[in-house]
Amino acid sequence: MLEGAELYFNADHGYLEGLVRGCKAGLLTQRDYINLVQCETLEDLKIHLQTTDYGNFLANQTNPLTVSIIDTEMRKKLCREFEYFRNHSLEPLSTFFTYMTCSYMIDNVILLMNGALQKKSVKEILVKCHPLGRFTEMEAVNIAETPSDLFNAILVETPLAPFFQDCMSENTLDELNIEILRNKLYKSYIEAFYKFCKNHGDVTAEIMCPILEFEADRRAFIITLNSFGTELSKEDRETLYPTCGKLYPEGLRLLAQAEDFEQMKRVADHGVYKALFEAVGDGSGGKTLEDVFYEREVQMNVLAFNRQFHYGVFYAYTKLKEQEIRNVVWIAECISQRHRTKINSYIPIL
Amino acid sequence: MGSLFRSETMCLAQLFLQSGTAYECLSALGEKGLVQFRDLNQNVSSFQRKFVGEVKRCEELERILAYLVQEINRADIPLPEGETSPPAPPLKQVLEMQEQLQKLEAELREVTKNKERLRKNLLELTEYTHVLRVSKAFVRRDMQFEPTYEEFPSLENDSLLDYSCMQRLGAKLGFVSGLINQGKAEAFGKTLWRACRGHSIVTHAELEGPLEDPETGEVIKWYVFLISFWGEQIGHKVKKICDCYHCHVYPYPNTAEERREIQEGLNTRIQDLYTVLHKTEDYLRQVLCKAAESVYSRVIQVKKMKAIYHMLNMCSFDVTNKCLIAEVWCPEADLHELRLALEEGSSGASIPSFMNTIPTKETPPTLIRTNKFTEGFQNIVDAYGVGSYREVNPALFTIITFPFLFAVMFGDLGHGFVMFLFALLLVLNEDHPRLSQSQEIVRMFFNGRYILLLMGLFSVYTGLIYNDCFSKSLNLFGSGWNVSAMYSSGHSPAEQRKMMLWNDSVIRHNRVLQLDPSVPGVFRGPYPLGIDPIWNLATNRLTFLNSFKMKMSVILGIIHMTFGVILGIFNHLHFRKKFNIYLVSIPELLFMLCIFGYLVFMIFYKWLVYSAETSRVAPSILIEFINMFLFPASDTGGLYPGQEHVQRLLLVITALSVPVLFLGKPLFLLWLHRGRSCFGVSRSGYTLVRKDSEEEVSLLGSQDIEEGNNQMEDGCREVTCEEFNFGEILMTQVIHSIEYCLGCISNTASYLRLWALSLAHAQLSDVLWAMLMRVGLRVDTTYGVLLLLPVIALFAVLTIFILLIMEGLSAFLHAIRLHCTRASHYCGLSRCGAQAPDAQAQRPWLTGPAAPRHVGSSRTGTRTRVPCIGRWTLNHCA
Repeated sequence: MLEGAELYFNADHGYLEGLVRGCKAGLLTQRDYINLVQCETLEDLKIHLQTTDYGNFLANQTNPLTVSIIDTEMRKKLCREFEYFRNHSLEPLSTFFTYMTCSYMIDNVILLMNGALQKKSVKEILVKCHPLGRFTEMEAVNIAETPSDLFNAILVETPLAPFFQDCMSENTLDELNIEILRNKLYKSYIEAFYKFCKNHGDVTAEIMCPILEFEADRRAFIITLNSFGTELSKEDRETLYPTCGKLYPEGLRLLAQAEDFEQMKRVADHGVYKALFEAVGDGSGGKTLEDVFYEREVQMNVLAFNRQFHYGVFYAYTKLKEQEIRNVVWIAECISQRHRTKINSYIPIL
Repeated sequence: MGSLFRSETMCLAQLFLQSGTAYECLSALGEKGLVQFRDLNQNVSSFQRKFVGEVKRCEELERILAYLVQEINRADIPLPEGETSPPAPPLKQVLEMQEQLQKLEAELREVTKNKERLRKNLLELTEYTHVLRVSKAFVRRDMQFEPTYEEFPSLENDSLLDYSCMQRLGAKLGFVSGLINQGKAEAFGKTLWRACRGHSIVTHAELEGPLEDPETGEVIKWYVFLISFWGEQIGHKVKKICDCYHCHVYPYPNTAEERREIQEGLNTRIQDLYTVLHKTEDYLRQVLCKAAESVYSRVIQVKKMKAIYHMLNMCSFDVTNKCLIAEVWCPEADLHELRLALEEGSSGASIPSFMNTIPTKETPPTLIRTNKFTEGFQNIVDAYGVGSYREVNPALFTIITFPFLFAVMFGDLGHGFVMFLFALLLVLNEDHPRLSQSQEIVRMFFNGRYILLLMGLFSVYTGLIYNDCFSKSLNLFGSGWNVSAMYSSGHSPAEQRKMMLWNDSVIRHNRVLQLDPSVPGVFRGPYPLGIDPIWNLATNRLTFLNSFKMKMSVILGIIHMTFGVILGIFNHLHFRKKFNIYLVSIPELLFMLCIFGYLVFMIFYKWLVYSAETSRVAPSILIEFINMFLFPASDTGGLYPGQEHVQRLLLVITALSVPVLFLGKPLFLLWLHRGRSCFGVSRSGYTLVRKDSEEEVSLLGSQDIEEGNNQMEDGCREVTCEEFNFGEILMTQVIHSIEYCLGCISNTASYLRLWALSLAHAQLSDVLWAMLMRVGLRVDTTYGVLLLLPVIALFAVLTIFILLIMEGLSAFLHAIRLHCTRASHYCGLSRCGAQAPDAQAQRPWLTGPAAPRHVGSSRTGTRTRVPCIGRWTLNHCA
């Protein structure tokens, strides 16, 4: 990429960047959250959301409101915005958008395969799929029996194809294998995305690389945490870690050896993640590790808006909006289950 | 006149609405459009307010109505639009209405659902017939070509394939036929190939006519496909893939008889479905027609109802919960009507609703009543700021000054007359419904029709003064110049020797000749109106007009600006701030008049004193004006004796007025604040006075509380007794003064645009005439007519588009800009007058001509151009 993106960035992507910044201004503010938390019923929530940028997105619902309706409608709105960005984008921004959707596509594929394993109907699972990760071949996923089958028959023409080179095996797909497949796919995906951003250079690399590094390290931690007490061997575990993070290579090697949470914490002791692990509360009271990671992610994404002329804003906006949806769903869930004590543990978007 | 000069006097009224009849009262008020409500529940979030339930119900009704309208539109039934606006429905009818609507909706949904199902059925059947018809061709084709496919090795031996043969293989060979979306066909084929590893054959053909997609309702192209495959396993895969691509799969008949039977069965079923569908549609149409009759008025009624509940949400409850308290701003003149409306609204109840006025220190909203004539002018003024309460409204003067300044730039008799005729046409037909409902651009002209009318009239006037009609001059009264008097033959020899007179050789050898007004008989006195038509022939016409127009624009500009400052004095008098007159307005006036007023004086002086004989010794005003500031060593003679001393005196006055302007008001306010004592007096006196005033303040506060205002209200009112901050006042005044002093200079220069634009206009029309009409007129008489016709048409079109519309718009914008200039002088004063707390922030100094001043939100907050709970706006319903 040539230097000096400032000079011609706006010719191709200026419109979209302006648009996404405008959209970002429509994110719910702290005041909105304070009001939302006070709601008594989902109807109240709807009325309040009407005064925000969501407008009357629930107006055409005749049935009584449920949390899942709110969730799907919010996702639909995000999806509409995303599709708009994507349809108006030029290369290389459109490739960037394709990379963004890949993670959702991986999730959807895995979801469908899991569903097929449990003999659920495709229709039922399709509803649960993330709309950003939809693609036409998706529904045929369940005819595959091995990963190579999956690749050869279905995914070979999708953007996911390049990520498959590491996971072609003739193993049958059971639950563990699917999970391993997901992590391998994700590893290749995140490494490819990282490489793409790095090659792009300029501000995009400066913004996106730290975000993706963090994402990679987070996955490494989560994989480690989830593998405690399962039959996954340490060597296998190490192959699942994405290698583009700050932990690579020494941290990942240590992480592969870790056997419990304390050891994992020790790995993080030296690097940037120390503060995060310190923020994790113990047992009942404090935040979970997941929440802490989410908070950090939100922080990085918000900071991405401080620079101009880069693609990171689109990524950051989508992630922030997702977090907002998670927050609203959390609040709505707390309201509908009358579980008000935990209602305040949403992740504030600064 | 009175109402346009200042905004209406407003008062704050408390309405006590019995909770039983509050709805009816507000409905009555809304129909009259008398008051502006204040939100008394600002810190209550929207879903915690009292009437949320009712608002929700209205929203539900709106949703149903929107559904009805959508269905009616889809059925292409014209929506009747009533002229009148029905009042909000009485509460008793609301329930009934809701029931009716809900029943209607349920019925409609049922019928539509049935209809959709029938349609879908029909569609499926039609699709099936298409599939059968098209796939028949496939099989025949297959029979011919099948031997060549390597995937069917067993069939290769048996080259004479027919139906019986297919039947024999039926156990192994499976068929799937169906329809697929055109766009997906290719990917579908590829996936099948990959998934079945070649154990299947897809044949497809495009369907001729497009069909509707049952899921989205879109009309798209389809492909008919036939898959032939081997084996059970692959069959499952094929079916799954079909599902995944949303194919419409239909059973494939194995024999010809079966096919025929199915086809026949389908045809009869399609016939049946058609009749049923037809009947359902008829019924649906009936239901919709019935609904369409009332839907328009219902929409308005529900809108009104929702508005009423929104307003009720702004009211607070009294302690007994029996009565709603609303606070409203109402023009004092309408209080009587307000009472009447309240009585009318609560006529059914035992206790009537009533109101009383409460004193307030807050600045009331500005209400300026307009009629169709003044509305346009008021809009122009509002474009750069709405005045505070009771300020002098510049719109009154804009009615004359705006068209006049426009006309100065647009001065042309012919163009002005065309514009006048156009505006007159609009004005005479203003009741025509097509005009008031027209599109954006026409509407813009329509709304400004009275402005256009006056602009046209004034242009006719200035056109007469400039003596310009389509760039030609009119010789109405006979020129004041006599050319023949310049010839030497008409004069005595003594005169001939004294003056430069013309004879034959002079005329023959000079290309340019100059008339000399000092020759007796050449100049017979001024032309009665405007500019002498002889200038149209002169080569130095432009020089003459430039000098004239430039001076004229400076004079007009300075009069205009001075007028703005004087309007400010009216404001100070009204708000009883006399010190502002002495400390602000008078220094400002002195500053302007001593510099630019003197310039105007010099212009007039030179015009009056120097005659044709003495014109050669007349000094240049420009040089004199510059010398006024430079004090040159050598004396240049000057305009009049003692000029130097007068100019020195004026400069001293100007210089003195500047510090007064900068410091006068802040120091005076400081002195007032310190209890009117002199600066050096002992501290004891000062504290004593403070104590007094504090007591007064607390007394006032307790009175307020006794009057039963809630706490929030007090919070609002405390703002008015703001803290005295000397630094801030000083800063404001200094900024204002700098702005004013620099503004005087830059604005005077900016008024020169009057000259520039009128020059541009005259030149442009001159060019148009010379390029077109002169060419057309030059051709000889026989063919001239033929040429002249298109030339005149072109001339007319160009005149209208370039000179009238383009030039007119540009002059319009410049006139707006000049009014902003004036307004900045004038509004600047208003800021000191009527504590508009942050007027400072939204008064950016204008730099470009086409940047109308934005109205800041805080200022619009106090603005009530439409004073009521939303005068029902019907165009929103449409």
